[in-house]
Amino acid sequence: MHPRAGASLSRRRFLALSAAGAATGAASLNGCAMQVSSGVGGGGESVTVMAKPDDISPELIRQAQKDIGVKIVTVRYDITKLIGMMTNGAPPDLVRGVGATDAPYFAARDVMEDLDPYFARSRVLKAGDLDPVNDLWRYDGRTQGKGPRYGMAKDFSQDSMYWYNTALFDKAGVDHPPETEPVTYEEWLENAERLTRRKNGQTVVFGGSYQGVLTPNLLASLTASAGGSLFSDDFSRIDFTTPEARKALNWYVEYGRSRVGPSIVQPDPNAWDGPTYQAGRMAMSNSGYWLGGLINTDKKLAPLSRLAPAPLFAGGRRVSPCQAGTGFWMPKQARNKDAAWRVFEWFFGEGPARARASGGWGIPTLKSLRPLMPAQEDYQKRVLKVQNAELKHFSVIAFTPYASADSLYALFNQEAPAAMNGHMSVDALAGRLNSVMNEQLKRGKEQVG
Amino acid sequence: MTVEQIPVTGRPGRRPAARPARTAPAERRRISMTGRRHRAFYLFTAPWTIGFLLLTVVPMAYALWLSFTTYDGISPNWRYVGLGNYGELFSDPQTWKSLGRTGLFAITSVPLSIIAGLGLAVLVNRPIKARGLFRTLLYLPAVVPPVGAGLTFKALFDQNSGAANGVLTLFGFDALGWLADPYARYVLLMSVLWAAGNVMIISLAGLQDVPRELHEAARIDGASAWRTFRSITVPLLSPVLLFQTVTGVIASVQTIMPLLLTPDGTTAGVTALPQSNYLYMMHVFSQYFALGRYGYASALLWVLFVLILIATGLIFRFTSGVVFYNVDPEAKK
Repeated sequence: MHPRAGASLSRRRFLALSAAGAATGAASLNGCAMQVSSGVGGGGESVTVMAKPDDISPELIRQAQKDIGVKIVTVRYDITKLIGMMTNGAPPDLVRGVGATDAPYFAARDVMEDLDPYFARSRVLKAGDLDPVNDLWRYDGRTQGKGPRYGMAKDFSQDSMYWYNTALFDKAGVDHPPETEPVTYEEWLENAERLTRRKNGQTVVFGGSYQGVLTPNLLASLTASAGGSLFSDDFSRIDFTTPEARKALNWYVEYGRSRVGPSIVQPDPNAWDGPTYQAGRMAMSNSGYWLGGLINTDKKLAPLSRLAPAPLFAGGRRVSPCQAGTGFWMPKQARNKDAAWRVFEWFFGEGPARARASGGWGIPTLKSLRPLMPAQEDYQKRVLKVQNAELKHFSVIAFTPYASADSLYALFNQEAPAAMNGHMSVDALAGRLNSVMNEQLKRGKEQVG
Repeated sequence: MTVEQIPVTGRPGRRPAARPARTAPAERRRISMTGRRHRAFYLFTAPWTIGFLLLTVVPMAYALWLSFTTYDGISPNWRYVGLGNYGELFSDPQTWKSLGRTGLFAITSVPLSIIAGLGLAVLVNRPIKARGLFRTLLYLPAVVPPVGAGLTFKALFDQNSGAANGVLTLFGFDALGWLADPYARYVLLMSVLWAAGNVMIISLAGLQDVPRELHEAARIDGASAWRTFRSITVPLLSPVLLFQTVTGVIASVQTIMPLLLTPDGTTAGVTALPQSNYLYMMHVFSQYFALGRYGYASALLWVLFVLILIATGLIFRFTSGVVFYNVDPEAKK
C-alpha cells in the first residue's frame, strides 16, 4: 500500500511509515558519515560545550545546527563550575582549555578522554595534517608533547613575538626593530622606556606590554631563552635561583618596576592589550600573530603595525614557543562523545576553522589551512613573511602536571609586587617563589600519585 | 462519615490513639487544636526548613568534612588529615595578617557607614522639598549590584584613565595610584560609604517610629536639638543601631568588593591585591579558587564562622546596657 498525500494516518500506516523512515534515516546518516566524517554521527543530538563567549558565538551555534545537525548548548567557562560538574558525574562534552598548561594538569588526573582512536578514524582531522603545535595537547604520563592526544588547539601564535606601531616609534624617534633578526630582551626594555609617554603621573602611552599568556609559562619561556629550564626534569620542582631563571626573573621584575607597560603593579583597565594598542596608547604588544585578527579589521592601524620576532637574551638561544594553544578537550565522563567528536571535527577542521584562518586570528592548526592566512595587502604579506620565518624557531616548552598554571600565577602575584615596587630584591623574590611554589608542587605530586 | 465524625488526632481512617478515659472532651479538643496548629506551623515553615537544611546545613557540614581533608576538587589521591588544616591555618602568616586587616576594616567601616546612614536619614526625615526624590537618589547606590559597583569604582579610580585622576590633573595635581597601596583602602571605604543608603533606609524607618510627643516635650523643657537627638532619638533608635552594627560587622568581614577591584580581573589576580585590601575573604578566595585548596579554605571559612559568632555574642553582651527596647507593657499581660 502506498501512502497518499492527505490520506488519514491509520495506526498500521503510521508504524509502516515510521519503520521505513527509520531505515532510510539510518542509511542516509551512515552515508553522510562515510562522506564527511569518521563514522560517528551527530544528527539531531545535543552537545554541551564549556567555552568563553568569544569561542562559540550564537551565529556559530546556528551554523553547527545547519552544517552538522548538532545542537550546541554552551556553558560559560569557569574552572570551579567545571570541577563541580565533573564531581557530579555530569561534565560538559567539550571543554575549553589552554593546551600549554591544562593538558598535563588534567591528563595527569586521568579526567581527559584519549582522542587517538577518534583521530585515527577521522577523515577531517588527519594526523599528517596536524601542526606540531597540537603536540601541546599530548601527554604520556611524564612529559608533555608525547603520548596520546587529549585535545587540539583551535589556532596558535608564537606568543613571545610582538607587534609594534611604527607611528609611535617615529614620534618617539626610536628605530624600528628589525623584522628578520630578534632584538635582545634588554634592548626591548630599553626601547619600551624610550617609547613610554607620561604626563602628570599618568601613562599616556605604554612603551610596551610584555606579559605573555600567563606569567608562569612566560617565565618558563624566558628561562628557556636564557638557555635554562625553570622546572626540574621530572617537573616536581621549580628553581628560580639558577642563573638562567634568575636572569628571566630579573628582567620581568625590571619590566614591572619600570612601569613601561601593564603588569600586576600597573594593571591595564582594558584587561588585555587589544583595545589599548588599537587606541594608539601602546607602542609594542607581546601578543603574537593572533592579534592580527584585531589589527586587520582596523584599516588605519593595520598598515602601521608590524610583527617582530621573539626577543632573546644576550648570549642566550632563540626560542619562540606557543604559550597557549587554546582549544578543546573531551572529559572522560562526557555523555555524548560521538556527537561531541563531530562538533570537534567541524570546529577544528571545517567552516569555523577556515573562517578563523582567513581572519588572521592566529595560525591555523591544520597545515592544509595555511594558504588561507591573510596575504592580500602588502602589510599582510610583510607580516606573514616574518611569521613564516619565525616558525623555524618554534618549540614546545613542557609545563608541570603537578600544579595548575593559575595556582602558580596566584603565588607569583602574591610575592612579586613587593619586588616590582622595590621593597624586595630579586634574589629574595626567587627564594620566596621557590618556597611557595615548591610547596604547591609537592602537594600536587602527592595528590596525583 | 460526617465531618464531625472524622477523627481529629492521627491520620484520617486510622483508629484514634487511646486516651485516658478521664480526659474531658473540652481538653481533648484543646489538645487536638494544639496538634493541628503545630502541624500547620511545620507545614507552613517546611519550605524554609527544607531550604535551610539543603542549602545551609548540608553545605556547612560538607565544608566541615572538607576541612579535614586535602581535597582539591580533581586530584585522585586526596586524603583525610584530621586537624592538619586547622594547624596550618594558625601558622599561616597570611591568615593572621588578613584577619587583622579585616578587623580594622570592620572597626572603621561599620561605624562610618552607620553614622553616614543615620546622618542621611536625619536629613531626609526633615520636611524639605522633593524629599521623596532625595530619598530615592540616596538609596539608589544601595540597589546597584556589587559587580556593577566594583567595575565602576575600578574604572573611576584607574590611574591612567580614571575620572578621579582626571579631576586631580585638571587642577594641576599629579595623578595618584588609587588602586594601589596606600590609597586602595580609602577607595574601599568610599565604596562602603557610597552604599550607605541601605543603612539610611533602615534608620529612616526607625526615626519615623520615634514618638513625636517626646521631642515636643523636650523642646518645651528647653532641650537643644543636639540634646534631643542624643537623649531621645539615639536611645530609641538603639535596637536599630544594634541591628545595623551586627549585620554591618558580618557583612564587612565577608566583603567581596576588593575582589572586584582585582588588578587583572582574573581569579589568580586576587593575590596581587594591594596589601591593605587583602582581607580575610580574599585569602579564603585565593586558597579555594586560585590554589584549589578546598580543604584548607573550608577550614578558614569555619574559623571565620566561629569568629563571627563570638563577635556577635560580644556585641550583644557589651551593648546590653545601652540598647532600649520599646516594649508595650500591655503586650506582656
